[in-house]
Amino acid sequence: MSTSSDPPPAAPPAVELEGITKRFPGVVANHDIRLTVEPGTVHAIVGENGAGKSTLMKILYGMQKPDEGEIRVNGEQVVLANPADAIKRGIGMVHQHFMLADNFTVLENIVLGAEPTRAGRLDTASARTRIRDLGDSHGLRVDPDRLVENLGVGDRQRVEILKVLYRGARVLILDEPTAVLVPQEVEELFANLRELTAQGFTVIFISHKLDEVLGIADAITVIRRGTTVARVLPAEVTARQLAELMVGSELPTPETRESTVTDRVVLDVREASVLGETGRPVLREVSFPVHAGEVVGIAGVEGNGQSELISAIMGLARLSGGQVVFEETDITGWSTRQRRQAGIGYIPEDRHREGLLLESSIWENRVLGHQGVPPARKGIWVNRKAARKDTARIVREYDVRTPSIDTLALALSGGNQQKLIVGREMSGTPKFLIAAHPTRGVDVGAQAAIWDHLRGARTAGLAVLLISADLDELIGLSDTLYVIYRGRFVARLDPSQVTPEQLGGYMTGAITEDVS
Amino acid sequence: MKDGALQRTLLTLAGAVVAVLLAFVVSSAAIIVAGADPGTALLAMFDFGATDIAVSSSIALILNRAVPLFIAGLAVAIGFRMNLFNIGVEGQYRVAALTAAFVGGQLALPAPVHLTVIIVVAMVAGGLYALIPALLKVYRGVNEVISTIMLNFIALSMAAYLVRGPLSGPRDEGQLTTSTTPLPESAQLPNANFLFDLFGMPAPRGAGLWGFIIVAVVVGVVIWALLSFTRFGFELKASGLNATAALASGVNPKTMVISAMVLSGAIAGLISMPEILGRSFAYGTGFTPGLGFLGIAVALLGRNQPVGIALAALLFGFLDRASAPLQFADIPPSVVTIIQGSIVLMVVIANEVTRRIALRWEERRAAARLAVPVKTGATA
Repeated sequence: MSTSSDPPPAAPPAVELEGITKRFPGVVANHDIRLTVEPGTVHAIVGENGAGKSTLMKILYGMQKPDEGEIRVNGEQVVLANPADAIKRGIGMVHQHFMLADNFTVLENIVLGAEPTRAGRLDTASARTRIRDLGDSHGLRVDPDRLVENLGVGDRQRVEILKVLYRGARVLILDEPTAVLVPQEVEELFANLRELTAQGFTVIFISHKLDEVLGIADAITVIRRGTTVARVLPAEVTARQLAELMVGSELPTPETRESTVTDRVVLDVREASVLGETGRPVLREVSFPVHAGEVVGIAGVEGNGQSELISAIMGLARLSGGQVVFEETDITGWSTRQRRQAGIGYIPEDRHREGLLLESSIWENRVLGHQGVPPARKGIWVNRKAARKDTARIVREYDVRTPSIDTLALALSGGNQQKLIVGREMSGTPKFLIAAHPTRGVDVGAQAAIWDHLRGARTAGLAVLLISADLDELIGLSDTLYVIYRGRFVARLDPSQVTPEQLGGYMTGAITEDVS
Repeated sequence: MKDGALQRTLLTLAGAVVAVLLAFVVSSAAIIVAGADPGTALLAMFDFGATDIAVSSSIALILNRAVPLFIAGLAVAIGFRMNLFNIGVEGQYRVAALTAAFVGGQLALPAPVHLTVIIVVAMVAGGLYALIPALLKVYRGVNEVISTIMLNFIALSMAAYLVRGPLSGPRDEGQLTTSTTPLPESAQLPNANFLFDLFGMPAPRGAGLWGFIIVAVVVGVVIWALLSFTRFGFELKASGLNATAALASGVNPKTMVISAMVLSGAIAGLISMPEILGRSFAYGTGFTPGLGFLGIAVALLGRNQPVGIALAALLFGFLDRASAPLQFADIPPSVVTIIQGSIVLMVVIANEVTRRIALRWEERRAAARLAVPVKTGATA
């Protein structure tokens, strides 16, 4: 891309929204939204889930049309009827859930839908050059010929950004871009974003991670209850003030109080190994016990064996060696169903992939995974009445904001979907719970609620295995903390002593220490 | 609040009606091109005959066609529910028909037992034939679409060979057609003409309304209950909607593929029963082919719901019967095929459109309720 833009002194705002109102039948989702984004800056939009950020994003990206108000791009009033319009105006979007085809190469993914052709055939050579150029000039280096399925999360995100740049976007909307990244990757992303803005690109950054927002943004707009309530500069506010603007309540803290760890081992993983698809071990002789009333945290950069460890405990992957012992019974050969029915709960890392039937009602999602045990089961039947009743209980106790228990799961916001899953997995008094990224992509309020529920269950004697990319969460909730690196446990740490920086060191292999 | 579910159902229904209407529009164009008048054609299709007996006979004809289609639709729908495409219903019901007719012809048993044995044999044969693609898929990763299509060819040729050779029954001198040994009287299902009495109509001509319609209704109810209210039905649906989530929830995909496929095949085994037990009493040259493929269309049209499938089967039965009166009205009966084809096409489109609209409504409704939490009752 050219780096020709050195904004003239009085450049018009890259994006300007004025009085944007969007009504859905009966109610208003966005009203009187005002947003001014200066060119060449990172502009953060913060707000709780359900505050109206998604609607605003959809309006900006042409996925929904506002009922009232004006959208101006570079000072020029525009109508964005669909994403193609937005792209034409130089607005591109990087979605929170990556939209990449796994079995395509990076190059194929980037050109998909905007393929350069020569004599009717895909011109890979020129595409490759262009992608290399884009990558080099913006510090977004990814090998264009690698398959996306072999890429890590950080690389995938760079591909998403390249995809948008390839289409000539000058304004990038990033929806919760750090939700899936570890601290080092977040730093890399921020470096990329700074480089982009230095070259005149404009970034609209949506997040609820306030520290990050304060770190990267040049200006911040806060949305609450469908409207913009404040525009602040990061230098003028603290994270706490920002949070109060956002929710009007106290910032939650993940810290657990006194220890509730007992000496009763609930789950004992003994020298467990799992082979990857290529036949190489991806989990190597990992051993650890989880006691009743204990939260065992596992820190690690994504892709270092955490998923395989979860799969091994849930019975989704076969162990190539070692044992999983649950309440003194060897369950290595048990099916997932047997394990679940024995009292193992599972909050999956990707709720859309593993946790929900998006096109089913909430009460049916309550049954999912619990179809073999009461109250959802009655002989060969699904006990609808009891399941519905219990769903209503979850909705109440876990504050799942939904119009009804017949609403389809896809209609809930991420936080509410997650609360539903947490409520479901906590029901039927499990003895052991796997919580994989339990607060990923949820807002501050839901996060606090989920932490409270985890803490409450721990006090009641639940054994928890916590896998998270949120280091504060790990340090705050865990009683024991392991670091996993390349399929091995490389450190056993005391969460009350460790700092995020130390953890990061172990996670990236910069510090080594043997635990086994 | 249940209005969401109600709205979704109404929307689905509206989609189907619009699809059928659009199909008639397309077909009208075809009729005009063929040089006839769509109005006349429509009148001919609804002309059930002048006398009461003729009307009864027409209705019996429609039902006799609809019953096998209904069963075929059910068989296909079981697989569709979990995104398992059993294209092999065609072959499964043929294998089942031959086996059941042959076994039935060899036995001499009291009537109820004899009938039960034949029906069970048909289900077992259909189920076992469906087990082959299921095992291939589970243990060798063979796509079920390909294996079932191939198995259809095998079934077709195998049945043709067997009914001429090893399994053929006695044949009169000079008779060109072959068939299995005819079923004895104890294996002939009485007709269901009493149903016409109930409505004060005269009994239809000929073999009348095949008695298997009663069994078909029972099967329909059982399948409906199975799909909607049992754990198996729930797991089937979950596997179809989100296979990874089902796996993580303790649903064994291998078990599901095998049981869904075998169940589908077992139901497919029943497709030819109405005819064999009600009219032909043997498997032979007069066998009605193609019901398995039509079943795919019926299941699509009925959206994999037993009630929808029943309606779709009736519609197809109605259209099929219409070919004769169309011919009398000098309109090519292939118009019926065009209508059927366009209905299926329109329905597939309508299904997708209504599904999207329904999802969007749902998102909006929830978003609307939660965006501005003014009402305290919004979370209840």
